[in-house]
Amino acid sequence: MSKKSGFMKALKCRECGREYPLEATHVCEFDFGPLEVAYDYDKIKKSLTKDALAKRPQTMWRFRELLPVAEEPTVGTGVGYTPLVKADRLAKWLGVREAWVKNDAVNYPTLSFKDRVVSVALSRARELGFDTVACASTGNLANSVAANAASAGLDSFVFIPADLEEGKILNSLIYGARVVGIRGHYDEVNRLCAEIAGKYGWAFVNVNMRPYYAEGSKSMAFEIAEQLNWKLPQHTVAPMASGSLLTKIHKGYQELIKLGLAKDTKPVVHGAQATGCSPISAAYKDGKDFFKPVKPDTIAKSLAIGTPADGFYALKVMKETGGASDDVSDDEIRDAMKALAECEGIFTETAGGVTVGTAKKLVASGKIPAEDSVVLCVTGNGLKTLDAVQGHVGKPDEIKPSLREFEELIEPDLKVKTK
Amino acid sequence: MAAKKKAAKPARKAAKKAVRKTKPTAKAKRAANPRKTARLWLMFPQRLITKPVVWELSQKFPVITNVRQASVTGEIGLVCLELDGLANDVKKAVAWLERRGVSVEPVEINVIES
Ligand SMILES: Cc1ncc(COP(=O)(O)O)c(C=O)c1O
Ligand SMILES: [Zn+2]
Repeated sequence: MSKKSGFMKALKCRECGREYPLEATHVCEFDFGPLEVAYDYDKIKKSLTKDALAKRPQTMWRFRELLPVAEEPTVGTGVGYTPLVKADRLAKWLGVREAWVKNDAVNYPTLSFKDRVVSVALSRARELGFDTVACASTGNLANSVAANAASAGLDSFVFIPADLEEGKILNSLIYGARVVGIRGHYDEVNRLCAEIAGKYGWAFVNVNMRPYYAEGSKSMAFEIAEQLNWKLPQHTVAPMASGSLLTKIHKGYQELIKLGLAKDTKPVVHGAQATGCSPISAAYKDGKDFFKPVKPDTIAKSLAIGTPADGFYALKVMKETGGASDDVSDDEIRDAMKALAECEGIFTETAGGVTVGTAKKLVASGKIPAEDSVVLCVTGNGLKTLDAVQGHVGKPDEIKPSLREFEELIEPDLKVKTK
Repeated sequence: MAAKKKAAKPARKAAKKAVRKTKPTAKAKRAANPRKTARLWLMFPQRLITKPVVWELSQKFPVITNVRQASVTGEIGLVCLELDGLANDVKKAVAWLERRGVSVEPVEINVIES
């Protein structure tokens, strides 16, 4: 096990500030508050300069000083640095002056932003001496743990509710992960997974490795800032499940400001949810700083967390930055998925539809002023949620192998074009 | 492989029978139902906020309750509770809380992610 700590100082309780050693642990013994990684920013400032960055490969690990590993990463070394696309056609659809899409639908290797958090968790797990990694997941996280563990030669356990769709299971099984389906109500399954995580000496990525794991999301913010030539975006819209990604994007921007890599232009962070699972957005609209648990019912399965662990902190970030939260119906999600595909050629999963659809609402309500610029975090790939759009995107035309039939078919379109 | 499995089956049955004949020792009982401490977040809906649910729980089940954090408003009650007892009793206590309408999460809250 590595004794080094790199640029990390300690794990620190988000509630009371007590410090803990940099081990595989995640809650404060006193108040059960979540632990977070604290860094030595003076040391980082000397190492993470724009000159140094210019020489580094284009992956998320170019910001390695701000990611919680003690030494060079060993898992998922090719993750990140996804395109930031200037989305002029989508901006028109949104009704805003300028829009950018951070396209994690093409993140490597499993096509969602989860590859960022998982590569950090597994790299750190290996430093801490683990050879088995685990997670409880219904989709993206499972795929990413299974794939990244496979490529690193780590054993992996994936826990899922037993009634999960077959397609999603295949996406983990193919990598040789040990997949265990648990029968029972969601809450029961959830509690059992917590118990298993506490009992076995594994690196459970989103339990005992959570302080490290969650930090991986900051890399999205670092990349956005660098890709905008070190100007922080006026507005960022992020999807929220547990709310972790949103809080870490904010932390990422604040760290760049602290290190002098970007000017403090007061970046605003907004949160997007599906109406069928919107505990955080509902709390925001009610002006509350706590949320009420809900039973999810939405096509945005990857955002369907009724009791979001970081909901409280996400609400705080939105309040602090002047951000807002809104939510969109299943139909609005599909419309937004179509808009992104038709305007920018990017096919996102339902979570991306939530982000884009919510952004449109925030522009309409003036929370994002029409003359401003916005970055949309598109976090997953449309090929993973084909069932959500099936029957909603039209059908192909069909003809006999006859030129005449083809000409008859396209005649009306040609007439319109030549007008 | 398949042949081996078949051969092993009767042997396993016999072994099970043998175990069943002898009374389980105190040690075996303890192994099947060990002591454990569960760290839980309880969320009380509005209608339960004024009810002494934690007291009721400790009257009904032989478990030690230890409130470690709490935040109660007029709308929702959040209580971080440690439950210590035999595994079966802890399990029954949690099931009773849920039947009562309290949502019971592990201290990590949502362990299952997408
Ligand atoms: C595609 C996608 N986007 C966004 C999220 C939101 O993540 P968080 O739990 O950090 O809010 C998830 C998480 O599960 C996801 O799978
Ligand atoms: Zn604490």
